[in-house]
Amino acid sequence: MRRFGLFQIGGFGFALVLKRIKKILQNSKTYGLPHLPGVVTAVLVDDGELVPLLDLSPVIGSGSRLNDDVPGYQVLVESQYGSIALAVDLAGKIVSEQKGELSVTVEQTMDYGVAGKFIYQDKEYKLLDVDFLAIEMTQGFLAKPA
Amino acid sequence: MSVANQRKLIFRLGGIGFLLDLIEVVEALDQIGETLDPARSDIGQGIVSALRFRQTWIPVVDPALKLDISSTVKLRDKTVVVLRGAEGNWALLVDQIDGLFTAENFQPCEIPFLLKVATMGFYSQIQLLHNEPMIVFEPEHYYGSVSISA
Repeated sequence: MRRFGLFQIGGFGFALVLKRIKKILQNSKTYGLPHLPGVVTAVLVDDGELVPLLDLSPVIGSGSRLNDDVPGYQVLVESQYGSIALAVDLAGKIVSEQKGELSVTVEQTMDYGVAGKFIYQDKEYKLLDVDFLAIEMTQGFLAKPA
Repeated sequence: MSVANQRKLIFRLGGIGFLLDLIEVVEALDQIGETLDPARSDIGQGIVSALRFRQTWIPVVDPALKLDISSTVKLRDKTVVVLRGAEGNWALLVDQIDGLFTAENFQPCEIPFLLKVATMGFYSQIQLLHNEPMIVFEPEHYYGSVSISA
């Protein structure tokens, strides 16, 4: 039985496959470094390792909110290329696949980095393709938001 | 191993921490306003000024230019770290010096695969000091024949 972590940033709901989630941190300190790639806005340190913090605004389709200085959470996710962190507003909830309705996107043409959608209690959560986002957003294929 | 070899100098540029082996350092100076001559610059080589140091003029390199770091500290309020190089002393312009720390305060930390391509050529090592990443400053990338040919 597959389970998903459901999160929110702004009005944007997204889902992550639970087994990819390493941990959720609250207000973890982040650090800027020179020449961070793509839409990596900072790094955080977890268990002695650097973790790139990605700005999801290209996926959300809104301006960056990572510099808003709003307390929040960081979800640490394991991709096949290494750990990444995603900033979220609200602590997530965990639901099993059967509790909602899942539809998988075959092509990436409509929503960048979105592998499908999961509808839970009438709200739509975009299922993020973590491996795709990790490599695309860090190797400079996406421009940094202004 | 000498004491200097075991100690690291921590400095900051735009809030970002850097570490430098003390063995590389000749002297650190603040209140440099009167000893600078910005007319003697060579921006193409990262040299923003010359500094009067021990009866001679030495080049002052601003690493923030190469690293694309923006600093709010004005030139006259900055600190210079004088380094010994193969071609003589040269000065590194920094925002501030945090202090000296012994090697045991630092924890090695690998640059993640996802960051390696973008940071290559600018820095290649990071160490943690009190869980904060500190970039290992590699002087040869900023002044001297290697930096010019790069």
